[in-house]
Amino acid sequence: MPPKNVSIRIDGELISAREDQTILEAATASGKHIPTLCHLAGLTPVGACRVCIVEAQGTDRLLPACTTPVHEGMSVTTSSAKLARYRRMTVELLLVERNHVCSVCVSNGHCELQSLATELGVTNVRFAFNYPKLDVDVSHPRYVLDHNRCILCSRCVRVCAELEHAHVWEVRSRGIHSRIVSDLNAKWGEAQSCTNCGKCVQACPTGALAEKGRAVEEMTKSSEKITSLARWRGAEA
Amino acid sequence: MHTSSEALDIGERTFIDQVIAGRAGHPGALLGVLEAVQDHNRRKYLPLEVLRYIAAKTGTPLSRVYSVATFYSLFNLDPQGDHTITICSGTACHILGSRNLLQSLRLDLGVDTDGAEEDRVRLTTADGRFTIRTVACFGQCTLAPVVEVDHRICGHVNERTLQREIRTLEGERE
Repeated sequence: MPPKNVSIRIDGELISAREDQTILEAATASGKHIPTLCHLAGLTPVGACRVCIVEAQGTDRLLPACTTPVHEGMSVTTSSAKLARYRRMTVELLLVERNHVCSVCVSNGHCELQSLATELGVTNVRFAFNYPKLDVDVSHPRYVLDHNRCILCSRCVRVCAELEHAHVWEVRSRGIHSRIVSDLNAKWGEAQSCTNCGKCVQACPTGALAEKGRAVEEMTKSSEKITSLARWRGAEA
Repeated sequence: MHTSSEALDIGERTFIDQVIAGRAGHPGALLGVLEAVQDHNRRKYLPLEVLRYIAAKTGTPLSRVYSVATFYSLFNLDPQGDHTITICSGTACHILGSRNLLQSLRLDLGVDTDGAEEDRVRLTTADGRFTIRTVACFGQCTLAPVVEVDHRICGHVNERTLQREIRTLEGERE
């Protein structure tokens, strides 16, 4: 049985959506823009970054648009002063957690965290920076993992598991001690399961995963290739 | 995976195989497998070779096994001491001086503080006798500061009573 259509309101506009869609999918399909960070079309949404939060009528809680399914009669607001405040704070907290120094980053100018901060008008950060001393893994012959730039969006984890089926990456530990880890905490270059495909690098929104030999501002990524690969695989199946 | 299974002796491999076979097909079986295998270990920990063997046997990605084993504080990746002393660092215990207890216990037992994550201490003495841990709350705040000595809750602990507990444990061995 094909999924039913439901009617929802997004920012007051009446929209028809399939009942198996999320708020984000329905909004994107009707040309609305909701800021996202950990979401990458084609990968399973996890709601890790909380940047895509929206207000829904009937609840005081803010809902992540990427993981909340639509339902009949739903009324959603995608931009308001409250949402802007929460989204800005989320990005500020991401910025203070590790060392996001754009001026010396390979992804400067092509970074989704940077453009999101610009889009949300994050001109300053009101919290103290953590300045953790984190490792940079250069053991892989072609790629670099810089934990200082990682925002734990888990896109690399998902792309590797879902599209490459290698499952090299996972998140270890909890809270502030969480790190991206390959195999049993192996150096990336020594991870047996890695196929060197580089999908994780293309999926990474920041400069945490990059190709070797790129200087500042030189690391451009094409996450849209991940999306089209996922679509193509989906159509094939 | 051939080399990794060689690092484990036959008895350990057989035990792990049995545990896995007993839980095959259950969703979330990995947690139970890890718990049973750690419990079976003499030093109550999961060596990397064991994790590697479990991953190979259950068809779980290595990274997933590592992620689960590091997420839950139940699992240890280092050998544990004969006795475990867990100091509560919850709000009530902290206010009543659990930090000083931890500090004096470290000095008494001579445990290096290097490499310890601030909020999650897990230190074992060089002779493998004691492991010091911290926990967020035992739910026994009226007894603050609380220390758990080998799964026995001790309330209203001060440095002297803690030293007495340690002496009792040391005496048991001799």
